[in-house]
Amino acid sequence: MADKLSWTELRRALAARANVSEKDANAFLNALNAQLVEALKEDKQVKVNGLGTFRLQAVAPRKSVNVTTGEEITIEGYNKIAFVPEAGVKELVEKVDLPEGEEATDPIQKLGAQADEIVDLLDDLGQKPNTAEPKEEPKAEEPEVEEPAVEEPETEEPVVEEPVAEEKKEEAAPAVIAEEPKAEEPKAEEKPVEEKPVEEKPVEKKEEKKKEEKPKKSHFWRDTLICFVILLVLLVVCYFFLRHQICSWIDSLDLKLDKIELFNKLTNHSAADQEADENTLIFSEEAEEAEAEEAEAEEAVEETVVEMPAVEEASKADYPILLTEEITYGSRLAWLAQKHYGNREYWPYIYDANRDKITNPSKIAVGTKIRVPKLTAAQKDLNSKEFIRLRDEAVAAIGK
Amino acid sequence: MLTKELINRIMKESGLSKKDAEQLLATTTAIMRENLMAGKAIQLQGLGSLDVKERKARVIVHPKTGERSIAPSKNQLIFKPAVTIKEELKKI
Repeated sequence: MADKLSWTELRRALAARANVSEKDANAFLNALNAQLVEALKEDKQVKVNGLGTFRLQAVAPRKSVNVTTGEEITIEGYNKIAFVPEAGVKELVEKVDLPEGEEATDPIQKLGAQADEIVDLLDDLGQKPNTAEPKEEPKAEEPEVEEPAVEEPETEEPVVEEPVAEEKKEEAAPAVIAEEPKAEEPKAEEKPVEEKPVEEKPVEKKEEKKKEEKPKKSHFWRDTLICFVILLVLLVVCYFFLRHQICSWIDSLDLKLDKIELFNKLTNHSAADQEADENTLIFSEEAEEAEAEEAEAEEAVEETVVEMPAVEEASKADYPILLTEEITYGSRLAWLAQKHYGNREYWPYIYDANRDKITNPSKIAVGTKIRVPKLTAAQKDLNSKEFIRLRDEAVAAIGK
Repeated sequence: MLTKELINRIMKESGLSKKDAEQLLATTTAIMRENLMAGKAIQLQGLGSLDVKERKARVIVHPKTGERSIAPSKNQLIFKPAVTIKEELKKI
């Protein structure tokens, strides 16, 4: 406070007010001051009616640190004068209009202005996440696109990618549209002359954002293209590696299908012909046709039945032994067939030649001595009826 | 020490009558208050000064609930001791 009521001014005012001489007033004020100090020293507390209470307060010693050296020092205790104004005086003081008061209220106004600025900033930030989301989401979907592509055939890849691309466009488009009106609104509301620099900044920022989005989009497309090409190459390599296996697998599938058909035919036939003939080993198409024409069929069946055991016996008897093999752990008849005949399909012949030792062709005791028969040219025909019959019997034996 | 005893002491030192002393003290405080109300600081020679100062508005936190609120600004009567008396009273 610039204005100060000096000691002399107080003395004059007192003299004028109380109708006493200036000398008396001076004596009184000096005595007042001296006694206040004395009282503080003695009682540590002085109450002055109409003003307040002076008090001598003890400050306890405390430890501190020397800032320059870092040493610990103890600040010794001391007394300080505290003044507590009277309640009435306190209230009076509240009403005082301080000239600095206007300045003092500034901090609050500044706080308010800062709050407004923060709100504006938050609004700006609120727009940024909208633009950022579409960038993040496609990235998160990328692995999803890759995973199924690895497992599934190539044709599905574009199907999976297309919706992702569409989503991205849709998400990016509304975000851009949403920005533009926001950018325009403040322009309309604010006064153009003062706020021009402020307006230009957000616009520039938004342009920058858009620029950032574009390269990211191209990155995304480039990455997906690279992934696609890599997958293609992998699939081609896999195809070449697995071609042989796939071919053999498809062949075996066909064979199985044939077998199943044959089994069905056999079982149907046996059920139908139980009365006519006890022999169930009928497989020829002639026999099936015979079913339709009953009388003729019976004759035909009889013929085949008569023929078959002859064939069987002949085959058993006719097997000239090529050599004998001892079954070791892990051996299979198909391997032996591959080894000796050059084709694993001939394994039923080996089984047929060793029916006395083998009950289940897939479970042969280790150490069993197997006769490997010589095959004639006729037996090597994989489509011959005899081979098919033997194969069916051997396959049926696997289940035993 | 209460005002009565202070007046007794002043009487003894200044040689004024009790009535005068009481009246003078009352007028002195009245003048002080008036000056303070007018926004003037008061110089007490050899003792210090009394001044009205503004305590700025600040954010306060409720210790129990943790609520934050703004304490409004207010004026305070502040006593600033003179350097000599301050040093003198430090060690008693």
